[in-house]
Amino acid sequence: MSDQQGRSSFDLGGLGEIANSKRVSRRQVLQGAAAVGALGALGPFASACGGDEATTSASPSAAAPKQGGHIRTAVTGGDTADILDIHATYIDSGSKTILVWDALLGWDHEAKLQMKLAESYEANADATAHTVRLKPDLTFHDGSPVTADAVVYSFQRILDPKTAALGAESLASLKPSGIKKVDDLTVTFTLEQPDAIFFEALAYYANGIVPVGFTTPDGAKGAIGTGPWKPISYDPGQQTEFEANRDYWGVGPYADKVTMIEFIDPTAKLNALLGGTVDHLADLDTAQVTVVESTTGLKLLEAKGGSWDPFTMLCDKKPFDDVRVRQAFRLIVDRPQMIEQAKGGFSWVGNDMWAPYDPGYPQDLPQRVQDLEQAKSLLKQAGYDNDLNIVLYCSTATGASDPEAAQVFAEQAKGAGVTVKVNKVDPDVYWDTGNYGSYPFAMSMWGTRNYLAQCRQTQFPTSPYYETRWKDDEWDKIYQEAVVTVDEAKRNELIGECQKIDYERGGHIIYQFGVVLDAYSDKLAGLPPDTFGSGSATRQSYNEFYFV
Amino acid sequence: MPSLLKLILRRVALGLLTLLLVSALVFAATQALPGDTATAILGKSATPERVEVLRDRLGLDQSLTAQYFTWLGGIVRGDPGDSLAATGQSVGQLLGPRVVNSAALLVAAALISIPLSILVGSLSGRFRDGLFDSSVSMGSLALAALPEFVLGILLIMLLSVQALHVFPAVSRVNPQLSIWSQMNNLWLPALTLGLACFPYIVRMLRGSMIEVFESDYVQMARLKGMRERIVLQRHALPNAIIPVIQVIALNLAWLAGGVVVVEYLFNYPGIGSALVGAVSNRDVPMIQAIVLLIAALYVVLNLTADILTILISPRLRTGLQ
Repeated sequence: MSDQQGRSSFDLGGLGEIANSKRVSRRQVLQGAAAVGALGALGPFASACGGDEATTSASPSAAAPKQGGHIRTAVTGGDTADILDIHATYIDSGSKTILVWDALLGWDHEAKLQMKLAESYEANADATAHTVRLKPDLTFHDGSPVTADAVVYSFQRILDPKTAALGAESLASLKPSGIKKVDDLTVTFTLEQPDAIFFEALAYYANGIVPVGFTTPDGAKGAIGTGPWKPISYDPGQQTEFEANRDYWGVGPYADKVTMIEFIDPTAKLNALLGGTVDHLADLDTAQVTVVESTTGLKLLEAKGGSWDPFTMLCDKKPFDDVRVRQAFRLIVDRPQMIEQAKGGFSWVGNDMWAPYDPGYPQDLPQRVQDLEQAKSLLKQAGYDNDLNIVLYCSTATGASDPEAAQVFAEQAKGAGVTVKVNKVDPDVYWDTGNYGSYPFAMSMWGTRNYLAQCRQTQFPTSPYYETRWKDDEWDKIYQEAVVTVDEAKRNELIGECQKIDYERGGHIIYQFGVVLDAYSDKLAGLPPDTFGSGSATRQSYNEFYFV
Repeated sequence: MPSLLKLILRRVALGLLTLLLVSALVFAATQALPGDTATAILGKSATPERVEVLRDRLGLDQSLTAQYFTWLGGIVRGDPGDSLAATGQSVGQLLGPRVVNSAALLVAAALISIPLSILVGSLSGRFRDGLFDSSVSMGSLALAALPEFVLGILLIMLLSVQALHVFPAVSRVNPQLSIWSQMNNLWLPALTLGLACFPYIVRMLRGSMIEVFESDYVQMARLKGMRERIVLQRHALPNAIIPVIQVIALNLAWLAGGVVVVEYLFNYPGIGSALVGAVSNRDVPMIQAIVLLIAALYVVLNLTADILTILISPRLRTGLQ
C-alpha cells in the first residue's frame, strides 16, 4: 500500500508492453533499440505467464483515439476514512488522488524521470540548491494559473506538521525558509544538507501541487488540481466519479467520465467485470487469471513492476547479528518454488537487492539460488547444529499471499535444520509499535523505488521504517558519498558498491519482484503497462484509455 | 387490553435496559482490541508523531469512561456523534443511506421468502409424505446446508453471468441516488437471503401443520362436515402459524443484522459491511450506533412476535386476563 515511486533515468524500453501486447504503438517503435535487448530476457517470462488473447489491431499510429465514453473501473481497497487530499496521510486514497493532482516531476511508464508540471529541473554543483521552472500557461481545474506561488504554498503545506502530510518525510532536508520564489514560474529549493537525489522528492506523487489557499476538500468540493480528471462526487469506500479535464497538459484524456468503484471482495470485483457492470478491473487476483483468459470479450494486461515483499531480519540481536546466519537464511530460499507457490508464478526472481530499475543496480552479481548444504555449514560455523528455532511473523497486511510465502519458507528451512514457527498476525495490528519493527524475523512490503531513496526509508535509525536495524560503517561511508554526488555515472558506481554489500551481508531476503495484472473489456484500448506496478497495472492512467 | 399494554411497557423497559448493557459491553470490547482509530487509519504510515496529531484531532486522549459517557449523553439527546474515521461526517449522515439500503434489502428478502414459504410449508404439511412434500423436504435441507456465499454465487452464475442474464452480478448501488430508483440491484441479494431463510420457515410450518391436523379441534371441524379449505384457513393455519411467527422474527432479525457475507459478495452497501469496516477502523461511535440499532431491532421484532402470538391465540389472550 505504501506506493512511493523512485526511479531515475533508465530506459526500460517498455518491457511489460512487449511481453503482453502485439499491438505496436509509435512509442515502442521509437524505443525499439533498447527494447530488443530486454526482449531476449523477457521471452521465457512472457510465455510462462501465458499472454492474453489480444487481437492484433491495425497500427493505430495514424488515427487519433476516439473521444468520449464512460470508463467504469473496479478497484480494491478504499475505506470510509479516505480523504481526497493529495497531501493526506491516508494512502489508500492515492489511487484517486493521482487522477486529480500532479507533482512537478514524475516517472513515466518505463521508469524514466519525466517533467510533469515542470519544464526544467537543475541542481547546483554541490546539490544544495535545486531549481524548477514551470511550464507556461498551465491551469488548475478552476481555470486559475499554475504559478510559483502555488508551488511555494504546496510545499509549505506539506512541511507543516499540522498537515501530517505523507510527503513530509521525503523533504526532510528542506525547511520552509528554503523554498524561494524566483519569478512567476521559477522556484528554488535550498536544502540544509546536500542531496543529489532531491529530484526523487519532487517526483513523488504525494508532493502534488495545489492552488494557493487550498485546504482539505469537503468530499469532492474544493478538490482542485492539475490532473486529467476532476472529481464530481466522492463517496469514500464506495465510489468516486470524475469528469475529464479538457485542458489537461498531458496525454488525453479521451473518455468523458471515469467512475471508480471500490470492492472489498475479489470475487465480487471479478463478477462485476464478467457481468459487464465495469469495463476495467485493476489488480486481478492471480487465482482468477484462468477465468479471464477463458472468457471472450476480456483481455489481460501484465505489468512487470519493481514492488517487493521481503523477509526482514533484525541485525542487532541474536540470531541475526551473526552475518553467517543471515547469509544462511538467504540460501535456504528456493526462489522459483516460492514464487510458484506463493505468487502463482506472477513475480520475477529477486537477488536480495532492491531497486532493480535503478541504473546503479549491479547486473553482474550471480543470481542466488537455494544451497542447503552451504546454509547448514554456515549455521554450524555460527554455532547452530540443527537447533535453531525462530518465529516468523507474517500478515496479509503486507500482501495477500505473504502468509503463504512464510509457510513455504518454513518448509524449505527444514532442509537446513532450522525450525520456523509461522505466526500470522491480524492485519489491523501488524503495523503497530511493538510489532512490525520489533519482530526479529518478519515480512514487509515496498513499492518500486530507486536505491538511495529506498535506503532512506529503512536503513538508518532515523528512518521511518528501520526494519532490519542495519548498521554497517563501510556501507555508510559509500552511501554518504553517493547522496552528494551530482555526477550520475559516478553516483551509479557508488550505488553498485552499496548494493554489493547488501547482497553479501544485508538484512533482507528479497526473493521476488511483483507483476501486476489488470483485466478489461475489449471495448477498451490504449492501456499502458506501467513499471510502478502496485495495485494497478497501468498506474491508473485512465487518461490514456479509449473506447474502440 | 390493559394487561397487554402493561406487558408491552414492561417489555420495552427491559429492552432499553438490554440496549444499555449491550452498549457498555461493546464499548469495552472495542477498547480491549489492540490499537485505536489513529493507528488503524494510518496503518503502515503510522509514525508516533502522526499518531499523536490524529489522536488529538479525534479526541482520543480523554479517559475511557469520559468517552463513554460523552457518547451516552449524545445518544440520549438523539445525537449519535461524529464518525472518527470519516472525519467531519456525522454518524447519522454516514449510516442513513446504509440503513435505508439494508431496510430495502430486508423488505425485499422478506417479501420473497415469507409468502412463498408459508404457501409451500402449509401445502407440504397438508399433503405430507407425498411427492411434493418429499421434494420440498430435500430441497429445503439442501438450501439450509448451503452457506449463503455459495448460494449467492450459484444464483449469480445462473441468473447473471453464465446461463441467463437477468440481473446484474454486482449491486452497483450508486450512492448518489436513492435505492428506490435502483431496484434492479436489489433482487439477486434479496433472492439469496430469501432463499436462505426459506427452509427454516417451511420446515417449522410443515411440522406445526402436521401437529395441528392431528389435534382434536380439527377432527371436530372435519366431523362437523366443514370443507377442507375452511378447516385449513379458519382452524389449522392460525394455530400452526404461532411457532412460525417466532421463526420469522428470528430470521428477520438475522436479516436486519446485515448479512456481511452477502453484502461483500454483491458489493452491497449495507450496515453489515459498515460494521465490519467500523471495527477495522476502531471507529467507536459508528460501532456503537450500528450495534445499538441492530439490538433495538431484535428487541422490537421479538416483542412484535410475542404480541402477534398473543393476539392470534385465543387461549393466550384469555390467559392474559
